[in-house]
Amino acid sequence: MTTISIVPIAIIGLLGIGLYALLVVRNLIKVIVALQILVKGAMLAMVAAGSIAGKTEVGASMALTVIVADTIVAVVGLALAVQIRRHFGTLDVRAISTLRR
Amino acid sequence: MIQTLILLVICLPWLGALLVWWAGDSRPRLQHGLAVVFSAAAGVAAIALIPNTVGKEAARLPLPAGGVFGWFSFTPDGLGVFLTAVAAVIGCLAVVFSVDYMRGEAQLGRYYAFVLLFIGSMTGLVLTSNMLLMFVFWEMTALCSYALISFYNDDPKAVAGGMKALIITQVGGVGLLLGAILGFAYLGSLNVDDFLQRAHLLPTTALTVAAFGFLIAAAAKSAQFPFQTWLPDAMEAPTPCSALIHAATMVNAGVYLLARFYPAFENVPYWRLSVMVVGMLSALLAALMALAATDLKRVLAYSTVSQLGYMVYAVGAGGIFASQFHLLSHSVFKALLFLAAGAVIHGLGTRDMLQMGGLGKKMPVARAVFVIGAAALAGLPILNGFWSKELVLEAGLEHGPAWIYAVMLFVAGLTALYTFRCVWMVFYGAPRSTAHAHDAGGFMRAALYPLAFGTLTTWLLAGPFSQMLHDSLPQHSIHTESTGEVALVILTAPATYLALAVVGLGLLAWWQRERLALLSEPLQDVIGLARNSFGFEAINRGIVSGVQSWAENLRDVQTGLLNWNIVGILAGLITVLVIVALGA
Repeated sequence: MTTISIVPIAIIGLLGIGLYALLVVRNLIKVIVALQILVKGAMLAMVAAGSIAGKTEVGASMALTVIVADTIVAVVGLALAVQIRRHFGTLDVRAISTLRR
Repeated sequence: MIQTLILLVICLPWLGALLVWWAGDSRPRLQHGLAVVFSAAAGVAAIALIPNTVGKEAARLPLPAGGVFGWFSFTPDGLGVFLTAVAAVIGCLAVVFSVDYMRGEAQLGRYYAFVLLFIGSMTGLVLTSNMLLMFVFWEMTALCSYALISFYNDDPKAVAGGMKALIITQVGGVGLLLGAILGFAYLGSLNVDDFLQRAHLLPTTALTVAAFGFLIAAAAKSAQFPFQTWLPDAMEAPTPCSALIHAATMVNAGVYLLARFYPAFENVPYWRLSVMVVGMLSALLAALMALAATDLKRVLAYSTVSQLGYMVYAVGAGGIFASQFHLLSHSVFKALLFLAAGAVIHGLGTRDMLQMGGLGKKMPVARAVFVIGAAALAGLPILNGFWSKELVLEAGLEHGPAWIYAVMLFVAGLTALYTFRCVWMVFYGAPRSTAHAHDAGGFMRAALYPLAFGTLTTWLLAGPFSQMLHDSLPQHSIHTESTGEVALVILTAPATYLALAVVGLGLLAWWQRERLALLSEPLQDVIGLARNSFGFEAINRGIVSGVQSWAENLRDVQTGLLNWNIVGILAGLITVLVIVALGA
């Protein structure tokens, strides 16, 4: 198996795992983990697209930007999870959906 | 020099706004002082700009703004400089008036900050020659008007009035943005002068869409038919703000926009006729509503809509000078009327004309200046409103259809009728309440006297004003006439005497109202319709409740469950992929 065919499989695999997990999990921590997996897939896709187009630096720099944004999302998400656990006493996303009342 | 003046006239009010806000509400004297000083400085800078309009190529103030949008340039041509002077000077007088009117009110910082921001935004709006920047300033004036109308934010009526003004003027903002984007798409430039010079290069459809987009923008901003409903509700604002919105800033922007872009659109089929009809309907309906209203400020608000209708009508007829001259007259006498009304309201504590009457003896100063303003509004010689209204009517007679002219003439009579009804109900007759009333204070007089003087004299500026517009607006083909020539033309035209006769009939109708009472039976239906604002409020309410019920139904989409949201995202992704796959 050459590298070039591993990459698409890895991208699709990471995206698929991430999306599937986001669809089914209900624990907020797991949601954040799933989001991380999903974004890693997208990042890999950017680097791969950059190298296919011959603009490695563009792909790499976009990936770097995503790393920064992604880290912030994870940090804020985890902080929210901590507060939600304290406030509601649970991490189940169904129990904390108070938008519709 | 000119660049500095432009920067000063825009940035001084903004700087003042920041400082007033920073001064804090615990130091009201400092806040009053700062506001007066900065608005007065802006007024002086605006007046200093007036002699600098000619030779405008050298006078551009470009700010680099990246490659895409071109230069954010400011061009002080006659139209812009004149409106800058109106905004800054009348704005300054409104601020001076506020020192008495707002004394002891809470949250002065918020009040003055928005007033000053408003003045600065308006000067920016009329001085810039970049359509994107124009849109930004346009929206800034909308925001300031919203904040000031809702100034008493514990009063639900004030908040509702502010929201209404914001939403309706947003509709207009979309029209302006549409026109600007179309211009950029086809000409590759956002510069106003480029647009005026090369508008004929646009395809007919695009030019028509842009022309009517700008008409919608102007109608929404200037409270013209069918958007006139927001202006009377804006009366919940503190009275100096009403003067600011009606005379110095806000509503003038729409007429300015039409006058500025007139050369680009004058050959668009039906555009000029539409502009004239919009002006006519606004003038007529608002005059009828003013006749039925019993709230002093609402009468003045309807009269603003009506007079703006005259200006829009003049632009449609090609009388750019007439429209701008009437704008100048109207700004002066309407600011005077509003501030005098503010003195009455402040002295009496109510806006209801049914509780006024016979106030003239208690408030001689307010009565004197209000009567001067009212006579100008009615178009009595030799006040400024007379000359400019005659110019508007003559432009309409010369270049517009006769039936619209006839309606406008009829409205001139109605104007005299409702103006004198208002004066009579407030200042003359038997007092209808025993409430204590005090006359205008020192700062109020300091604002009222210059405006009263201006109402008597600004028509003398007709000659220099037409010269200024002629010199700096080559594409508008404006004739220059000296003041004497303008006066001679008006005094020798038969139309003037026809108009005066109609105005006289209007006055006579009020004088003989008891005898005309027999006639008024069938008129009751019209008056009733006018009280209900001819159904426009009902249409507004219908739109609002429609949007609300639609949004209520849309709530079902918001499950609040994360997993369902992911399903939505996935569905969107698949849709995009399918479209890409089919398209490729």
